[in-house]
Formats: sequence, structure tokens, C-alpha cells
Amino acid sequence: MQRRRETFFSLALPYRERLALERAVFTGGDGPRIALVSGIHGDELEGLFVCHRIAARLEELAERQPGALLGSVELYPALNPLGLDTLERSVPIYDVDLNRAFPGHAEGLLPQRLADAAMRSLDGAALVIDIHASNVYLREIPQVRIARGFQGRLVPLARAMNLDLIWLHEASTVLEHTIAHSLNARGTPCLVVEMGVGMRVTPAFAEQVVMGILHVAQRLGVLDTGLKLEELTRTPLVADDGNVHYLNAETSGLFVPCVEHWSAVRSGELLGRIVSPLAGETLSEVLAPCDGMLFTLREYPLVYEGSLLARLMEVAR
Amino acid sequence: MSIPFADEAVLLRMTAPTRENFDLPVHDIGLRDAPPRVALVAGLHGNELNGVFVLARLASFLQQVASGGRDGAELLGRVLVIPAVNGLGLNVRSRGWPFDGTDVNRMFPGYDRGETTQRIAAAVLAATDAAHFRIDLHSSNVDFEELPQVRLFEPTDVERDAARWLGLPAVIERPITPTLTTTLAHAWRTRGGRGLVIQAGHAGSLQPVHCERLFRALMDFLERAGVLAGVRLAEPEEEVHSFGPRQSFPMIAEHAGWFVSRLEVGQWLQAGDLVGYVYDGFRGDLSAEIRSPVSGLLSGIRRQPLLCEGDLVARILVRDTLTAMPDTYLMGHGQ
Repeated sequence: MQRRRETFFSLALPYRERLALERAVFTGGDGPRIALVSGIHGDELEGLFVCHRIAARLEELAERQPGALLGSVELYPALNPLGLDTLERSVPIYDVDLNRAFPGHAEGLLPQRLADAAMRSLDGAALVIDIHASNVYLREIPQVRIARGFQGRLVPLARAMNLDLIWLHEASTVLEHTIAHSLNARGTPCLVVEMGVGMRVTPAFAEQVVMGILHVAQRLGVLDTGLKLEELTRTPLVADDGNVHYLNAETSGLFVPCVEHWSAVRSGELLGRIVSPLAGETLSEVLAPCDGMLFTLREYPLVYEGSLLARLMEVAR
Repeated sequence: MSIPFADEAVLLRMTAPTRENFDLPVHDIGLRDAPPRVALVAGLHGNELNGVFVLARLASFLQQVASGGRDGAELLGRVLVIPAVNGLGLNVRSRGWPFDGTDVNRMFPGYDRGETTQRIAAAVLAATDAAHFRIDLHSSNVDFEELPQVRLFEPTDVERDAARWLGLPAVIERPITPTLTTTLAHAWRTRGGRGLVIQAGHAGSLQPVHCERLFRALMDFLERAGVLAGVRLAEPEEEVHSFGPRQSFPMIAEHAGWFVSRLEVGQWLQAGDLVGYVYDGFRGDLSAEIRSPVSGLLSGIRRQPLLCEGDLVARILVRDTLTAMPDTYLMGHGQ
């Protein structure tokens, strides 16, 4: 098994330094390649930790059973390194969401060049997994989000990813500039994983997803089928735009939940309260609109009228 | 959704977590017995000051006309003026909605039960929807200065004609990209009617010369739209040049360092003319002379001296359609 770490793209910054994109590549043979991508948003760190855990598992495999890697695994933990280094979601200086700059352009503006470099590197992979960590406001259960147009090819792969939820959504024009849409539209399958919360890592979620990635790698022939893996622990629920309820804040204040994330709730159950920091009163009680699973829960307590508090997948009792 | 203008010109009232409640106010000028003839909107981005200042000044002027305080001038129709949609952003000098960083001009058509900025977007669209003409004013970002210009997105002939009423030096047609489908201008377009976008100057500060030109342009427009009469403007109309989607040439930097230019927007350049110099950031050596590869109107120039490889240096509008051109101009940031 070969391991290499390399800079696959760089460009000059005004004063002395260069902005460099790095990847780690593990190669065992001529078999298919899969790629993990993360850090497109500089405030999302969960995917960086998943990359670390996959690297650790492959290094362990190199010691124990090096022949089990039949193809390649590529790790792209930080596609927006300036954003990650400066704690900024978008591409610093440009204030542009890198995940709205795809497929990019080799002779375009800086974010487009980053996007183009990533597209060229990922082209032809058997699977790309783009790992996101929500944002700093909301905590998400490990899930994959799939646009309807790509569901035929992606859902079978997603089912093997050891996730709690698959969310099928309608196509949105504005999402055509994402890395996932750009890759899928060009024939390179890409799964978008959402998990955890911005600016944090959730090790238990990472281990869950790592197990899924190894299973999918085996299914695609990147790993030898003879390699013994732990059994999957999750069977995903399937959500769509028809059974997902959004709970937005009725008023502004501090949101304090009184249920756990990913709990089964009953219709009418109290999920949390919006309280006033200036008085002892409760401004709004947040109630479950139906029976279901709470797959999104607000992590950042301060809310404005309209802020998203939770998302619930309706599940019949 | 009805337009909630019963007694107070407020489009939306909202609570805030720790400060006073806030609202989204509008100047509703002229007789209210008919839909607005013109709706003017600025400050979707809180750091784009030229449009906000010009609309506040214009509202003051129109209020004076409406109350008979300007001899000979007459208001013949109803005008809506929203100087700043993103008021909190303006107060803290932020482009986006400061609480969550969302771009208000990526939230249209909005949703009155959705996120905060979706609610704001829905209120702005509901209020301006019925206006016969609508104009959304922007600046570029803080790094790049734009010549005051009208931008049209796959326009109708009525919009093409109306754009020329402003008398701004350039009218530029552009394709609609996926990102632009979430803007106010696009929401107007999909609901029928006439909408224009103006870009002028750069964000983060006020450029009085551009503001004066914008003020004059809007007065001309209101006169041509039949809203305002009896106002004589001292300046003659300028020549208006129109440019199609493939007549906009972006100059992208291939060197990093310091970018220094003495050019002003609105100049006509010949191919080979000097645009600026790039000096190495650390050593200070001259790295490159940047020369225009095409002849045309300098519609935008970089004002931020720190230059990365892949940064936009200038935009030149050309008379002939370009055949080979990167589609990088689609990344225009200001709007």
C-alpha cells in the first residue's frame, strides 16, 4: 500500500504566501478510487475528523492486511483552507460560498479556480463523499441529502453508509453550483453527508460514518470483500419534502430545548421554550406538530423571529 | 399578501432577542389610490451605501414635491422608496444579515413563515410587486468600483427602453445564472412586470460623484415614467451605450502582489493601454504592467491594492461581441 501527501493546486497570495490545496492518497492497486471531501465551508470541522479516522484505519490496514486495499482512497479534508484557518464559512476576501462556485473555471476568479482544481482531481472517482457539518446554529443527525434527479444511482450507496437518515429533496436551481450537483451532473457520483454542528467535532458520529464509508468502499471494490468489517449499526429512515416539518421561532429570545436531539417525539409534546433574557417569562413554547423523529435541533440558543429551531420527520406511531 | 400601508409606512415589524423591536420602513409618496408607479429599493446589502444615501435623499426631495414645497414641481403618481432593506446590516456595516450572515438578496421570493431573512424578502416583494416599474440599486463589493450602470437579465424590450431613461453611461445585458434566481430582480421578473438593476461605485464608503449621477438618473427616470413633472435638471443627458452578454471582458490577475492604477471608471481604452502595475508584495519589484487586451469602456476597476492570483482587476465593455471569453464575469459579486 502506497501513501502520499501532496499539494494538488496552489496560487499566489499578495504577500509572500501561497494558498495550497492538499490531499492524502492511499493506493493499494488499480481498483476503483473513492474520495472524501470536507472543509468547503470553513466553519465545518466534522469532515476533517472523519478524514483523520479514515487515514488512521487505512494506516492500520497497511500494517495488518495491506493487500485488502484494491483501489485508492483520496482524502481532501480542507478545500477552503483559508476559511478553515481564519474561522470563516465562506472564502475569505471574496465572501463567496465556495459551494456555490462549482464547477468553477481554471482561468476564473479565485473561488472558481479552487472549484475547478477540485473538479479536475475528483473526476472519474467511483464515489465522492462530500461531508458537511451543518452550520454553527443547528445540530444534524448523520444523514445524506440527495436531489431527486440523482436518487436512482445514489440511494443504494447511501443505504450502505450507516446513516440515520436519507433526505430526498426536490432539485433547486441555486444548488446547481454545488460540488455535488456538478460531479453528479458529469457522471461522478457524489453523496452529500450532513452531520453534527459547525465548529465542533462529534467523535461518535464520525465513527458511525467511518464504518459506513468502509462498507461502501468494500461494496465498490476499493476494499477486498474478504476484509472483515464491523456490522452496520444503522438502517436509515427516508425523509422527503412531504414528511419533513420545519419549526421556526415564533418570536425572538433564547431557545432552550427540553428534549434530546434525535429523539422520538409525540404530537403536541413540548420540545423547548423561547425565553426572555430580560424577564422571567416564557415567550413561546415550541410544540411538536406531529409524531416523529427530531433530526435537526438548534444548538445556538439566541434566535430571531423566524430562526430555524428544529426539523422533524413525521413518523406514524 | 396585501400591502400593509394603512396608516404607517412599515412593511414588517419584528422582535429582536435583546434589543428593541425593529421594523422595515418604506416611504410611500403620492396618492395611495392606485398601485405604485415606481418602486425603488436599495440596501439589500448593508454595506452598499451609495444607493441607500441616494434613495434617502430622493425620498426627502419627493416628500417636498408632494407637499408643494418645490415650486413648479409636481408629483403625478405614487412612488415607493425603501432606502435600506437590511437596516441592521447597514447599522453594523455588514453586507449580509448580521445575525446569521445570510445574503438577503439570495432569499427571494422569500417566505412569510420561514427564516428571518425569508420573511424580510417576502415583505419587500409583496410591497413592490404591484409597482409598474421597479429598480433595485446596488454597489459592487468593497474591492471593486463599478461605473454607474444598468444591468438587465434577459430583458424585455420595455425594460431595454426603460433602462435608457436613466441616462447612465452603460446598459449591460447579462444571462441569468442559477445563483441569480434567488435575487429580488429575478423574483420581480418571474412575476411579470418591469424590473431594472443599477450598480454604482463600490461598497463600504460613499462616492459622491456616483451619487450625484444616480440622483439625476432617478429624477430623469421618474420624469420619463410620468411620475414627476416640472423639475429641470442642469446637466445634459449623456450618451448611453448598450452592451450584450458577450461584450463584457473581465481582466483577471495572473500575478499576486500590490495592484496600483490611476484609471477612473468611464474612460475609453485602446487595446494595449496601461491599466495598472503589479509590484511584488515582499520584494517590491515591478512584477507586471497590466495592459488592456481589448478596446472599450472601462466599466469597473479594482480599488483594493492587495491582489491574489485570480483576482478581478478591471472590466472592459467592448463594441464587438467576444468569441473566446472565460465566463468568469458570471461571478460578479456586488449584486
